[in-house]
Amino acid sequence: MSDTHYCCPFCGLVCDDLSVDLPGCPRAVQLSTAPALGVARSNGSEVDTAAAVAAAAAILRGARRPLVAGLACDVTGHRAALDLAERTGAVVDHMNGAGQFRNWLAFQDGGWMSTTLSEVRNRADVVVLAGTDATAFPRFFERCLAPESQFGELSRRVIVLGDSHSFPPERLAGTALAIPIAKERLGELCAALRARLAGRLVAAGTVAGMAPEQLDALLATLRAARYGVLAWNAAELDFPDADLAVRAMADLVTDLNRVGRWAVLPLGGSDGDTSAAQVCTWRTGYPLRVGFEAGGPHYEPLSHETGRLLAMGGVDALLWISALDPERRPPETDCPVIVLGRPDMTFERPPAVFIPVAVPGLHHAGFLHRMDGVVALPLSARTATGLPAVAQALAAIAKELSRAQA
Amino acid sequence: MLRLKNGRLYDPARGVDGLVQDLYVDAGRVVPAPGPEVRIDAELDLAGKVVMAGAIDLHTHIGGGKMNIARALLPEDHRGDRVPASDLGAGGFMHAGCGHAAPSTWTTGYRYAEMGYTACFEPAMLPANARHAHLEMGDIPMVDKGAYAMLGSDDFFLRLLAAGADPRLIADYVGWTLDASQAMAIKVVNPGGISAFKFNTRALALDEAHPYYGVTPRQVIGALARAVHDLGLAHPLHVHASNLGVPGNADTTLATMAAAEGLPIHLTHIQFHSYGTEGERRFSSEAERIADAINRQGNVSADVGQILFGQTVTASGDTMGQHRNHRHASPDKWVVMDIECDAGCGVVPFRYKDKNFVNALQWAIGLELFLRVTDPWRIFLTTDHPNGAPFTSYPHLIRLLMDRDFRNAKLDEIHPEAAAHSQLRGLTREYSLYEIAVMTRAAPARSLGLAERGHLGPGAAADIVVYRDDADREAMFGKPEYVFKDGELVVRDGRVVKVVNGALHAVKPEYDKGIERPLNDYFDRYMTVKMAHLKIADDEVCACGASKLVPHACTRHSS
Repeated sequence: MSDTHYCCPFCGLVCDDLSVDLPGCPRAVQLSTAPALGVARSNGSEVDTAAAVAAAAAILRGARRPLVAGLACDVTGHRAALDLAERTGAVVDHMNGAGQFRNWLAFQDGGWMSTTLSEVRNRADVVVLAGTDATAFPRFFERCLAPESQFGELSRRVIVLGDSHSFPPERLAGTALAIPIAKERLGELCAALRARLAGRLVAAGTVAGMAPEQLDALLATLRAARYGVLAWNAAELDFPDADLAVRAMADLVTDLNRVGRWAVLPLGGSDGDTSAAQVCTWRTGYPLRVGFEAGGPHYEPLSHETGRLLAMGGVDALLWISALDPERRPPETDCPVIVLGRPDMTFERPPAVFIPVAVPGLHHAGFLHRMDGVVALPLSARTATGLPAVAQALAAIAKELSRAQA
Repeated sequence: MLRLKNGRLYDPARGVDGLVQDLYVDAGRVVPAPGPEVRIDAELDLAGKVVMAGAIDLHTHIGGGKMNIARALLPEDHRGDRVPASDLGAGGFMHAGCGHAAPSTWTTGYRYAEMGYTACFEPAMLPANARHAHLEMGDIPMVDKGAYAMLGSDDFFLRLLAAGADPRLIADYVGWTLDASQAMAIKVVNPGGISAFKFNTRALALDEAHPYYGVTPRQVIGALARAVHDLGLAHPLHVHASNLGVPGNADTTLATMAAAEGLPIHLTHIQFHSYGTEGERRFSSEAERIADAINRQGNVSADVGQILFGQTVTASGDTMGQHRNHRHASPDKWVVMDIECDAGCGVVPFRYKDKNFVNALQWAIGLELFLRVTDPWRIFLTTDHPNGAPFTSYPHLIRLLMDRDFRNAKLDEIHPEAAAHSQLRGLTREYSLYEIAVMTRAAPARSLGLAERGHLGPGAAADIVVYRDDADREAMFGKPEYVFKDGELVVRDGRVVKVVNGALHAVKPEYDKGIERPLNDYFDRYMTVKMAHLKIADDEVCACGASKLVPHACTRHSS
């Protein structure tokens, strides 16, 4: 069966049903337009790629501890980034690390019961969206909550837990229940639901702004689910100690599984972040925020964070990889910055070295994981380019480094 | 040409039992003794050394989504075994990583090679997760690899079975799955049970109807064993039976053997399926009954899944079983995942304790099975890595099998009531080097249809291991003097000296491609992936990281 459809790398859904006739969501259409060529720059001047590669290698050679971050690329790019990080003694982190580690910290504390997109589509009769409206994943409703299921027509109840202002009316119309609650109180709500589930009384007054009867009504709906799914997008849980809210949600789902079936669905995976974490995990044992030290990989989920490392002077050079979205520029820093970016990336403050790279799934073939971490999809080259892929540019830098060492 | 001179060969595929003989290696192959005109470029005198083919592990969870979940879950375990990078100069670069229970891909490859293993087979690859599994295995160096595709709880198969589909159609689907996922064999895990768990069923007995499809695990096993046989696969249906770990499950295990109706069947980690309910604690050994059944039935093979004491992590497709076991999690954190209308996985860290009655008896049951099954061609040495213990404990396990005094000394250390309940002390058998060579080389190669591996005859791939003949078999098997992979010296004195990449082995069965019409329709209507994108093309295998694809042809039998 010939394959006329291609996979979209621009969000964690990695929709694989796109074609010339169905170019996908507005984000996919917009990001699928990228110049086939770009201009490399070193210290503000146009240079050829070889000179830019040499300049990048010179920065890394002079650095005691670089940071290889951004990591918005495909699996082959991630492999090359880890190779280079290992040889230069670097730390690695992804541009979506803040959200990723809200999940990883909770996961490493207690694990969870989770599910994948096709299970959601076929089984989920109750879907709770906690602190998100899923608009960061434009086709989530269309792809994962379509009415047809192989187990018969599903009448789904979608329950939105969140700040009502963040939900446009057209989203609310299709949902059965919208419960306004500040995101910061999701953990409190889940803890109270667990207590009620265990038959305990919850102190009089309100819990997370909800009256006790409202709490019990919500719990009754959750318990009535045949297959319930609790989804959140950790990137949107931007408040202190949000990993504890994630932990509370996972614990609620575990408790609901004592008598029924429930699963968590952490939304995410955009900018190649699922692939970056998967590759780093199989190669080092840790899901990013790893430093390559003389004694072996060193994992610090809190202190190996891009912003903190740059602010504290914990690193002395930044290699920023951003091959999917030109808006994802490197953070402000005073240390020398090398950017491997889309050719249409622009800068207010130009980096020391800019090497334009091909866009995975547009300019070159590759592999990319979907948000659930299970399905890795094949990316294809849809248009020709003269630009190097991230992996090729990184290999050229590594070669330049070893040549200089020899 | 390389001459390996005066080594004592244990090569059961040719019936060679300790014969001193020269071996010749040229262009990665074992070759017949050349004439005097051929120049010998290199020579090693192996007088007094033991020479075997490279070892083959036919059941080890080395790569795939569930292992990555286990890795991500256990940073504290990795911290105890940090592995630095090592530049071998002309020998290449050894990557940093981590070891112990859920080792990084790099470390997995290095440590297997350092024990004399040259091929490893991942037994639980979900078709939905196959591309990821191949990417992971692509970063496992040193050894050849292959994987078994998991079926039996996938909705497409259960729909076919429930609809009473023609066995030929089921065989076409099984053949398509092998081809699409670049797999070597078919595995079924808790037949139908992973699906049943998604319908909130917590236990499914062999003859119990699935809550939605109405078919029984026995029917699932029968249909898949038939398809595997009809497709002409070398390896029988690889079965993780129902009721893993449940006291009294030996009856289920015996009934599962019967469910194959005389067709070849492989029962995996059978230690976990050999339990009775005798005694005060309602937990007892049924190793004798299970071993007798294997001894009687030539169509049955098994691997043991020996447990060894210490920290490890259990990773399985059996969500139903792992959810049941989560209360034993140590440390107390665990993962259960429903996957893509395909299967699932469960990861539960576990610490086996020699002073715990149940764990101690599990240890004894595994050893009893090894010692009571008389035919080493039908019982394989595994710990179901990492479920019973990490693979790095194989040398210790080999010593337990070969050295009765050592075994009895260990028996003195375990929970005394478990030791008293077990008949292990009365078993005097000690495995010979020849029998070890059977169960770790010749037999797995034959079971998998690897004609060029697992032996040292002319034409074989030159995967060769040389050991010092040490009375301490743990020391001997833990540190081979030389390991050759495809003719290249890759390990010297138990240390990698050259980094190589391994090939991927996959079967290429014949099937009617017409199966893609209903499959394509099914994926388009219900899945969030297209059928075409689940398929892994031959040329993707190397892009994922394997050195090459080694296809294995199969001859289809008519049903």
